[in-house]
Amino acid sequence: MPAYHVIHTTRYRHTFSTTVAWQALHLEPRNEAAQRRESFELEIAPHPADLAARTDVFGNRQHFFSLREPHTELVITSRSLVQREEPVLPMPGLTPTLSAARRQVADLIAAGTEYSLEQYLHASPQVPLVPGARELAAGLDADDPTVLTWLTALGARFATQFTFDAKATTIATPLTDVLRLKRGVCQDFAHLFISCIRQHGLPAAYVSGYLLTTPPPGKPRLRGADASHAWVSVYVPGTGWIDYDPTNACYVAAGHIVAARGRDYSDVSPVKGLFTGGGHHTLTTGVTVEPAA
Amino acid sequence: MSAAVSSPPADPFAAYAAADDRHDECFAADGTVRPHWAEFLRLLGPDPAAALRSAHAACQRAVVEQDVSMNVYAGERSAVQAWPLDVVPFLIAPDDWAVLSAGLRQRARLLNEIFRDLYGPQRLLKKGTLPAALALANPHFLRPCAGLGRPKDVMLHTCAVDLARSPDGQWWVLRDRIDAPSGLGYSLQNRIITRQSLPQVFNRAPVERLYDFFRGFRTSVTELSPHRHGIDPRVVFLTPGPANEAYFEHAYLARYLGYPLVEGADLTTRDRQVFLRTVGGLKRVDTVIRRVDSSFCDPLELHGHSLLGVPGLVNAAHGQRVAVANQLGGGALETNGLLAFLAPLAREVLGEKLQLPSVATWWCGHEDARETVLGRLDSLVVKPTFRLPGPSTSRFGQLLDAAQREKLAAEIRARPFAYCGQERVHLGTTPSWTDGALRPVPFILRLFVTWQDGDYRVMPGGLTRFHPDGDDAIVTLQQGGITKDTWVLRSGGADPAPLPPTVPLADQVSRAADTPSRLADNLFWLGRYLERTSQLTRLLGKLDPLLRDEIAALDPAVAGAAIRLLLDIQGAPIPPGAKLEELDTLLDASIDNPALPGSLATNLNHLIRNLDQAKVRLPPEAWRCLRLLRQAADSPEPPAALELAPHLAALEAIVNETLAHDLAWRFLMLGRHLERGQQLVFLARHLLGGNVAAPAPAPAAGASRPPVPPPAPAVPAVPSEFRLQSLLHFADSLFSYRTTFHGMFQPAPVIAWLFSAPENPRSLRFLADQMDQHLAALPDDLAPRAVSALRATAFRLVSRVRLLDAAALVAAPGQSAAFFNESYATLAEISDRVTQVYFTHAETPGARTT
Repeated sequence: MPAYHVIHTTRYRHTFSTTVAWQALHLEPRNEAAQRRESFELEIAPHPADLAARTDVFGNRQHFFSLREPHTELVITSRSLVQREEPVLPMPGLTPTLSAARRQVADLIAAGTEYSLEQYLHASPQVPLVPGARELAAGLDADDPTVLTWLTALGARFATQFTFDAKATTIATPLTDVLRLKRGVCQDFAHLFISCIRQHGLPAAYVSGYLLTTPPPGKPRLRGADASHAWVSVYVPGTGWIDYDPTNACYVAAGHIVAARGRDYSDVSPVKGLFTGGGHHTLTTGVTVEPAA
Repeated sequence: MSAAVSSPPADPFAAYAAADDRHDECFAADGTVRPHWAEFLRLLGPDPAAALRSAHAACQRAVVEQDVSMNVYAGERSAVQAWPLDVVPFLIAPDDWAVLSAGLRQRARLLNEIFRDLYGPQRLLKKGTLPAALALANPHFLRPCAGLGRPKDVMLHTCAVDLARSPDGQWWVLRDRIDAPSGLGYSLQNRIITRQSLPQVFNRAPVERLYDFFRGFRTSVTELSPHRHGIDPRVVFLTPGPANEAYFEHAYLARYLGYPLVEGADLTTRDRQVFLRTVGGLKRVDTVIRRVDSSFCDPLELHGHSLLGVPGLVNAAHGQRVAVANQLGGGALETNGLLAFLAPLAREVLGEKLQLPSVATWWCGHEDARETVLGRLDSLVVKPTFRLPGPSTSRFGQLLDAAQREKLAAEIRARPFAYCGQERVHLGTTPSWTDGALRPVPFILRLFVTWQDGDYRVMPGGLTRFHPDGDDAIVTLQQGGITKDTWVLRSGGADPAPLPPTVPLADQVSRAADTPSRLADNLFWLGRYLERTSQLTRLLGKLDPLLRDEIAALDPAVAGAAIRLLLDIQGAPIPPGAKLEELDTLLDASIDNPALPGSLATNLNHLIRNLDQAKVRLPPEAWRCLRLLRQAADSPEPPAALELAPHLAALEAIVNETLAHDLAWRFLMLGRHLERGQQLVFLARHLLGGNVAAPAPAPAAGASRPPVPPPAPAVPAVPSEFRLQSLLHFADSLFSYRTTFHGMFQPAPVIAWLFSAPENPRSLRFLADQMDQHLAALPDDLAPRAVSALRATAFRLVSRVRLLDAAALVAAPGQSAAFFNESYATLAEISDRVTQVYFTHAETPGARTT
């Protein structure tokens, strides 16, 4: 398996000194079928006295800390070494049809074997089930295609209609605005896709992660490589979760490193915090993903 | 002699028309009075109607006197409403109680197991006994809390259960309140008022008392503590604050149980532990009793915009260094959908039959149940599966027309998991005293269950509610419901349990230093506003229009100075060169002007606000003063100084004589002394010359600073005897001066009496000594250097007034003005330093970042 170094730096700068800060992090890459975390370290300045870790309900490693000394700058740096290979995709024609998949998902939930799929069928804090998102796939299910055929078609159509634009939206922009603007970033596109897929009766999850910064020779540089990236995961009965990157209209490959999985951004935001005082603050993020020598 | 003819007592049931199709608590189906009600009526005496009429009056008086209240949300503005209480208690006969208490104990055990499973292994979801959607599509299922439940953990410490009685006499559970159940405090208050209103019945009827339940409650809270080695863990009672509808009962219950009432801002976390911010620094908290909904308890991991919570609380709970009761996340169990599955869950989890049935409920997420609901839309109630914020969204099928029903059916088909159908219970009735007679009203009974001694225990009492219009569709207090005390009757008139032995004082750990910083801040400003308001009231009394005329006749210059003083102290602008009559008119207009930073109206409002915030710490007598002051402030008439004076004097007496002289009290006294000192300097400067700013309003009060005072009025170099006499009079020192100096009014002894005489309790010397003592008693371990700077400032004032040479001061021109200015500045410095050291050391959560 190819190995990658991931360095993710988050820097808060405050105009005045802030005395207390609390942070919750989702920075540690997951261990899963196509990915193995070799090492992970967290460097925080100023140094916190109470760094603690916990595994969340989705199986992600989460870190928590608080600071109580006055500071005007907080820098959180995570360094990971991850082995990652391209996930194996089933033949699209061999995946179940949309209607069969819906039925099988319901059966799996009712039988209890995969009851937790239920949570990926419903609205979640940042993914309302708005009609506009459902209509992104209008007409694509006319002949009851197989799930992957349908997903590929949806991704291709989406790429012609939506434009990547880092300035058009913020974390707080509602999905209905993204639909109207037809612009946004990976997070917006992932949320739109999730809303669409869930409204067509299939479980859809949100994946927070990273992209290889410099593409392999001869390959184009992908969008979203300078910051943390996000894509979606669809549950396909008989196969399992399959990750798709709507921002780049592709199935994920070796260059997609998974940090955390959840229902939407609110479950897995990489860095989330509160602090007291400090006046205005600015937040800058830097991500580097490079093949390990 | 009276010639009244005694008429036979009126039939108390003359107006009582029990419906044939409902179960009535008082009358059996054959029209006879049930035995426990017959006994109740017998104890009322020969004329039950008359006894109830006077008990009703006593009860309504007590509600007003004890200032029991609830906040009613009415659109944008919420208003405080008197607590609605019917004096006729709800009676539970012994055989009913046996059924209810056994059923509720089982129910609480069951709910606790479901709670643990939901946030633990989720076996019930896997098995399908509880449909996965009821947990995983439930917005109240809080994923960050997953893993909080451990074997043997008590997740559910206390729950409230609403019950109704159907026409056949069967009890049905309508809903369970598991997250932050309310009503325990109101139940206690109802008991106290009803007992006082019906003493002849209560004392002779075999009514179960409540104290043993609350004693057990306290013990069980102690046992929850993760640090069991300590004999007395630090427990706090977390409330959303005064804006919450049930704040009164939070305050009441916290005081009854002896736990400090705190808001999220009083707590902080570090090292995965919870701390209380006190004037003595951060103190570790062992247990949080919570009345804030789970979702709002931690802005870091739960509802991100909540200001009610404590950042890091969830993580601390995971670290097992703090106990939270109830454990976070219980809101998920309040889904209506759960009611449809409790019977199979009881068999699965406990291996028992569910003893108390829930009202028949169909969760539309299951196809057969959905068809049942759609087929019976005309008779069922349709409710959202998951509680939504805001008013109830239940829809009563029989009230809908065909088109509305079709629309509802379409909504159900589109999102079946989000709807439940429920049978409508034809509520049983119970006697109430309504419109001067006993009448039957449909009721809902709320009972409380608490984990005690390794099992659950039901409080032998409760909160009964009814709607005065007899409308049983909605019985919520927000919409005009009325409550009753609830008496559980012992069989065979057995004696009540013996009074518990009292815990020796030595065994109780003193938590005197646990004064939360926010409370200290609040009391400090309460002291300042109390002093400021009563000082202004006294001055206005001494300078009422008639007396002003008299003073003007004796010495117009003194009258002018006094009126300017009163205008200045209120922050009223004084036009240059204004004549005495003009000033007079200005003064009369200023008192009631809320736009002036220091008017009587403004100060009164600040005082009321501070009293409101500090209410929890004050005895009921002070609540009465608060109520009377509020009446005066709300009255369309301008506040009259003479009317306010007795209420303010009563408050001062409570502060001096009733309050415990603890740390919190010292902050109140510091506020009063500082204010009084500044007022004294202000008076002297106005009548003797000097340049002192008007007292600044509290920064927290949001009022703008008063305008820069006008240049000091011209004052004769040698004050007249009358001027000195007036100064002493305004400074409440004339009487004591006269008795000491036998009527000699000279500048030096007057200055000495007002500023350096230790015998005069109104002198700055006396105040400075008092402040010095209070400051010495405050904790210094928080910030030793800042505390010693504060004490040094106070000592500077003490030394200055002790060493004051009054004769030298009046001899040299400008000396007294300099002294006044210096004293004023030192007092202001003490105030600032107290604020810095004891109040603002505590950080408060700021903006969210990402």
